[in-house]
Amino acid sequence: MKWGNDLSTFVEKFRQYLKPGYYDEFDYHWTMTIDLDRCTGCEACVVACQAENNLPIVGEKRYAQNREIKWIRIERYWEGEYPDVKMGFIPMLCQHCDAAPCEIACPVFATYHNQDGLNTQIYNRCIGTRTCAVYCPYEVRYFNWFTYTWDEPLEQQLNPDVTVREKGVMEKCTFCIQRIRLAKDNAKDDDRRRVRDGEVVPACVQSCPTEAMAFGDSNDPEAKVSKMMKNPRGYTVLEELNTTPSIVYLKKAHAES
Amino acid sequence: MAIMGTFAFEEDFLAAAEKLQSSGFDNISLLSPVPLAEAQKVLGLGKSAVRRFSLAGAIIGALAGFALAAGTALVFVLPTSGRAIITIPPFLIITYEMTILFGVLFTLLGFHVVSDLPAWRDRPYLPAANIDRFVVVVEGAAGEQAARAEAIIRQAGAEEIHHVEEDQ
Amino acid sequence: MFDHGQPSYAEVNKDILSVMLETGPRYWMLLGTTMSVAVIFFFMPWFYQLIVGVGAAGMSRNAYWGTYLSNFIFWIGLSHSGTLLSAILHITNSPWRKSVYRSAEAMTLFSLMTAALFVMVHLGRVWFVHWSFPIPNQMGLWPNFRSPLMFDVMAITTYLTASSIFIYMGSVPDFAAVRDASTGTRRRLYTIFSFGWRGTAREWHTLGWAYTFFAVFVIPLAVSVHSIVSWDFALSIVPGLHHTIFAPYFVCGAIYSGTAGIVTVMYCLRKFLNFERYIGQVHLDNLGKLLLALSLIWSYINMLELFSSWYGGSSFELEALKFKLTGFYAPLYWEMILFCAFVPLLMFFRKFRWSWNKMLLISILINIGMLTERFIIVATSQPRKFLPNAFGFYFPSWIEISITIGSFAIFATMFLIFIKWVPAISIYEVKETLKPLRRDA
Ligand code: SF4
Ligand code: SF4
Repeated sequence: MKWGNDLSTFVEKFRQYLKPGYYDEFDYHWTMTIDLDRCTGCEACVVACQAENNLPIVGEKRYAQNREIKWIRIERYWEGEYPDVKMGFIPMLCQHCDAAPCEIACPVFATYHNQDGLNTQIYNRCIGTRTCAVYCPYEVRYFNWFTYTWDEPLEQQLNPDVTVREKGVMEKCTFCIQRIRLAKDNAKDDDRRRVRDGEVVPACVQSCPTEAMAFGDSNDPEAKVSKMMKNPRGYTVLEELNTTPSIVYLKKAHAES
Repeated sequence: MAIMGTFAFEEDFLAAAEKLQSSGFDNISLLSPVPLAEAQKVLGLGKSAVRRFSLAGAIIGALAGFALAAGTALVFVLPTSGRAIITIPPFLIITYEMTILFGVLFTLLGFHVVSDLPAWRDRPYLPAANIDRFVVVVEGAAGEQAARAEAIIRQAGAEEIHHVEEDQ
Repeated sequence: MFDHGQPSYAEVNKDILSVMLETGPRYWMLLGTTMSVAVIFFFMPWFYQLIVGVGAAGMSRNAYWGTYLSNFIFWIGLSHSGTLLSAILHITNSPWRKSVYRSAEAMTLFSLMTAALFVMVHLGRVWFVHWSFPIPNQMGLWPNFRSPLMFDVMAITTYLTASSIFIYMGSVPDFAAVRDASTGTRRRLYTIFSFGWRGTAREWHTLGWAYTFFAVFVIPLAVSVHSIVSWDFALSIVPGLHHTIFAPYFVCGAIYSGTAGIVTVMYCLRKFLNFERYIGQVHLDNLGKLLLALSLIWSYINMLELFSSWYGGSSFELEALKFKLTGFYAPLYWEMILFCAFVPLLMFFRKFRWSWNKMLLISILINIGMLTERFIIVATSQPRKFLPNAFGFYFPSWIEISITIGSFAIFATMFLIFIKWVPAISIYEVKETLKPLRRDA
């Protein structure tokens, strides 16, 4: 009897696992919106992320070698010819793509998609093939080329909720998973089934002086991000690659000249 | 007791082998420095059973390959890239490689089983058989039988005849 | 087939075995040199890199893959001719294969091992490399079989297993010959190696069948291995790598550089081991024709690759193409075209195909070209991905360059050890091409 049951559940599971697109059924679908019209390129988010997630300071030499670790960076683009130039900013961080090119690349499942629609990176599992970084079209994965240390007393500033990575490990923006975790735990303690909108605020969003960024669960139609996403200015970066990113940018509006 | 006759020429060697075969000696070995299709024909060796091992290996490998890929994906479900958990195309590649791996390993096994190698005991052998001589070995013949075998070998034009005691 | 008259059966044994059994001081000096070069240029820098981290190499955010991976492809490519060619020629019954194939297969094996070493050097945390093998573990966690790298792991282990079995089984009768010609420990060792081979009709018969099956398995395997290596690149969506043509391109390139490698190895065997009698004009001529054909295919595919990038018209592809053809590495690119597409055309002339020295030069140039080809693939596509802000530049550090040099020494060391352990030319198969031992012959 038991075997029969096991078999039928197995068959059912097998069928279910044969079809792609399971990501429509996430518990949460953490999404971020970034309004480029509001972004001033102040890089407060960069610093906040650095502090929150124990990002190492690599030093001048390694920065020049392009080996910095900045989970979120401000990309700067110029439009037009001098003197009629316009500068645009776009904060670039892991897009938590639902069809992430980086995830299939990993031979050891160090990066995979979790039930919250997050693209996770498991440092302890990473063997450093760096394939994910090559495959990522947004180039937001950062590698620990060396083991970085914090001189005294700077190690006191390290966030105890976040691991310190060793050499040979890939890392990237986690959507501040430690804060998501905390919010979920709090929700559970309060006997709530779900996290309320605005309860999770990633470091970068929290620090943004112009409130250009919003973060929330886009499965909840009432959430702030869900409303922001409907904005006609909304777009995703490199849409033609079909990576279905979880970050929606709101285009910078230009006045017609 | 085993009787060994060495030959310098292929024809004599084959003639001796045929004669021995037709006069009812069934435990003969034909040693040659190069593979001889004719010698194999004398012994009536047609299609080798190795091919069954290869086929079995390939089939087992294909099944094992798919089972490995699909099974391990099921025991610990880790979605990646929005693909199905059991993604057929990449798993077929694993299947393909495992088919070949098992095919090769089983062929190796088949070789050992069919050729009765490695040899666990000393067998009658002359090093010249690996250089430029052909050797006929008749094993398990005693008394009159042995004399008859020896006569046949000598008659076919053997260069030398050796007798070796077999340790039983 | 034999330029210097036919040897007798006994002479074949003597000539080929003497290389194994008699060792002069020159050999030890050579072995000592290659070993120390391998240690100093490969293992010491690698050790340093293990301690400080992969940052010792020149890779950065612009190119997460560097020379290590390009060398990995190069060595895998070099491994492609030996076993594959040997298997194809075995099945098509070409007699000229017989005196070349053993060393060619050894080349396969050793370049494959060198390639595997490069994977280790490449990894950030090589001490966890076993996680990429399907080994049951207490975590219940298995590798990701959807990953192109996992295809690689499976393909390369299969290839390594299959080609070692292939070369080993082909040598069993020769191990018996070594056993008969030696005494003491070596004799005992080779008794085990040869499984007590006697050369009975039944043994030959079984070996023949098994060998043919190995050949049949190895051919599709070899093709799949390099296709899979190409998919490491082609399955990414990086412009300049995401091409459907990559699999045939890599397979063709692999066989091409492998065949050139065989010519180089043949030259050395002939020159230093005095195998003039066994490796002759026919081999050179046939290999030359093969190289010529392969070079034409290679040039065609290369043109196709450029054409499809350009014709596709996506701005990302065009940018990558522009960087490749006119950027910093353009001289290297054009050097590759010269060495791999134009120089081999000389082989249309018999004068070139028949001269050992000229062929040696051509074969080495081809392999230099192929080495740069792989380098260009990794070094020009990654720095030009999608976001212009992340455009960059990659240049190998001295550690990478030294490890590259060292890998050749590793290969040479393995080959030198090989010629003392396995007859470098198949004794019994050479005998098969001689006049049979018949009265009427
Ligand atoms: S942005 Fe890059 S790292 Fe992030 S999920 Fe997408 S492909 Fe992966
Ligand atoms: S969400 Fe968190 S981890 Fe990601 S960029 Fe912002 S601060 Fe950094």
